[in-house]
Formats: sequence, C-alpha cells, structure tokens
Amino acid sequence: MKELPNRGKKQTTDSLSEIMNIDRLVHSPARLSILTYLSVVEEGDAVYLLNQTGLTWGNLSANVTRLQEAGYIEVVKEFKAKKPHTLLKLTDKGRKAFQGYQNKMKGLLDIKSLSPGGT
Amino acid sequence: MDNTEEKQIERRVFTSFFQAGFIEAFTGIFLLQLGLPALFSRSGFGDWQSALFALPIALILLIVVLLVRRFVVIPRLGHVKFLPERRRRISKLIIVPIITLIAGAIVGYIFSENASLRHTFVGQIPFSLIPIIVFSAAAYFLDMKRLYVYGVIVGLTFPLGKYLETAIVSRNALPVTILSIAFVFLGIAIVFLVAFLRKYQETGV
Repeated sequence: MKELPNRGKKQTTDSLSEIMNIDRLVHSPARLSILTYLSVVEEGDAVYLLNQTGLTWGNLSANVTRLQEAGYIEVVKEFKAKKPHTLLKLTDKGRKAFQGYQNKMKGLLDIKSLSPGGT
Repeated sequence: MDNTEEKQIERRVFTSFFQAGFIEAFTGIFLLQLGLPALFSRSGFGDWQSALFALPIALILLIVVLLVRRFVVIPRLGHVKFLPERRRRISKLIIVPIITLIAGAIVGYIFSENASLRHTFVGQIPFSLIPIIVFSAAAYFLDMKRLYVYGVIVGLTFPLGKYLETAIVSRNALPVTILSIAFVFLGIAIVFLVAFLRKYQETGV
C-alpha cells in the first residue's frame, strides 16, 4: 500500500481531531437547518421556520428547545390578536457557534479535497 | 457553506414572500388605473370624470389585495424581520417614485411644448421608458429578476396600443391593449395565489 507523505498524515490527524471537536448541537440536520434559516433574518416566527425547514411542528419544537437551552436561540412567546405567537431569534452565542461550525466544516472539506484520494 | 450560499438562502427566503402574486396584482391594478380612464375618456367622459370613475375600482382591488396579504398569505408564510442590509435595500425603493415623478415631469414638459407629439407613435416612447426604468429600479433593489421582464412588457404596452390604434383604426385600441395586459397580470396573480394556497396550509401555531 502506498504510504501517505508526512504532510498528508498530519492533515488527516488534524481533520480527525477537528471532526471530534465539531459542535454536535449544530451538526444535527434539523438544528442546522433551523440555525441556517434564522441566520439569514433578524428574527422569524415558528410558521416561517416550519415552512422553510419542512420540519414537523413536534420536531421543530424539540430542536428549538435544545437550541434554546444551549443559549443559541432566543424564544419569545407572545399573543397576537389573541393567538399564541412564537418569535425566534439567533443569539450572539448562536451566531458564533453557527459561524464556527461553518468554518470548521469548510476547513474539513478543504483538507479532504487536498488529501490524496480526496475529491 | 460560504457567504454566497447564505446570500442565496436569504434571497430565496425574501422572494418567497412575493410568490403569492402581489407584484403581478399591483402591476395589473396599475395598468387598470391607466387603461380605464383612457377607455372612459374615449367613451365621451371628461378627463377628470374618467379618472374619478376608475379610481374606486382600483382602490377596491388594492384593498382586496392588501387584505388577502394580511389575512391569508402572512399567516401561512409567517412573520419575518429581515436583516438590516435587506431593509436598507428595500428602503432604497423610495427612489422609484422619485424617478417616476422626475420622468413624469420631463414627459409632461415635452408634451406641453408639443401637444401633437402625444398622439404619435414616437410620443409613446417616454411612456415605455418610464415603466422600464421604474420596474428595473424595483428589480434591482428587490433583487427580483422577473421585474425586468414585467418592465419590458408594461413598457411595450403603450407603443403596441398606439400601433394597433393606427393599424386597425380603432380609437379604443390603446385602452383595450392596456386593459388586456392588465387582465393578463391580474390572471397571473390569481394563478400564483391559487398555487400558493395549494402549497401552504395555515398551520395555526
């Protein structure tokens, strides 16, 4: 088997440790989708997220709760015309976590594309 | 994901708020407001009378469109506050009525100097350029490419009507052309609204 050059080995080790350090809270497809759609607006309500992400109400609610507990999003429950209205907003912490995740993933994909056998 | 992809997602989210056919409805109402007074005045009513008869029709349609947006579309799409960058772009739309006013003033001045020009084919060119410029400005600031096409269609309506007026020798050809295009836009708006209603159900959350 052809041995990888030292630089390739180092990169593989780095990328593996990067994978281990990835923010798992953001990494879930549902939560990543929620964070993505909240990152492109200042604030949006639950109906907006339901439409854009395609999640069910139960799934959205469960993932929103996890993100809220982590301090990544802020949830404001209010009444509009006597109807409950849930407003969601990405916090600074959430925005940083989302950007950090993006950078890490981009770095990982770049390393993968540079490494031998990478596409 | 890079910045470009985020911008694309933001643009897609923003344009999704215009998929219920409001732009088409507003364009149709705008053309209706131009075509109806022209038709009435050619039927023997005075200019002011014609404008007064046409105004309630446009106002009622406008109110219907705004009510549909408020009570049917927004509850299905959800409430969103866009990022400051997008809000700044939208606020720049104020330039559109300013362009319209300036262009209208220039056209008005030209026609006041040479009234006979108004009834010629060449005299319709400013009427073509104004909607093209206005729709292009709106297309640029709203980041919606289909508005360029609408600008060209609305712009071509006036010379086409004038051409038909002379070609088929009918004094109603111009307003009928404008009204036909208006009804096409209103028809497209209804199709878009029906498609929207079929795609989005009210969630009630």
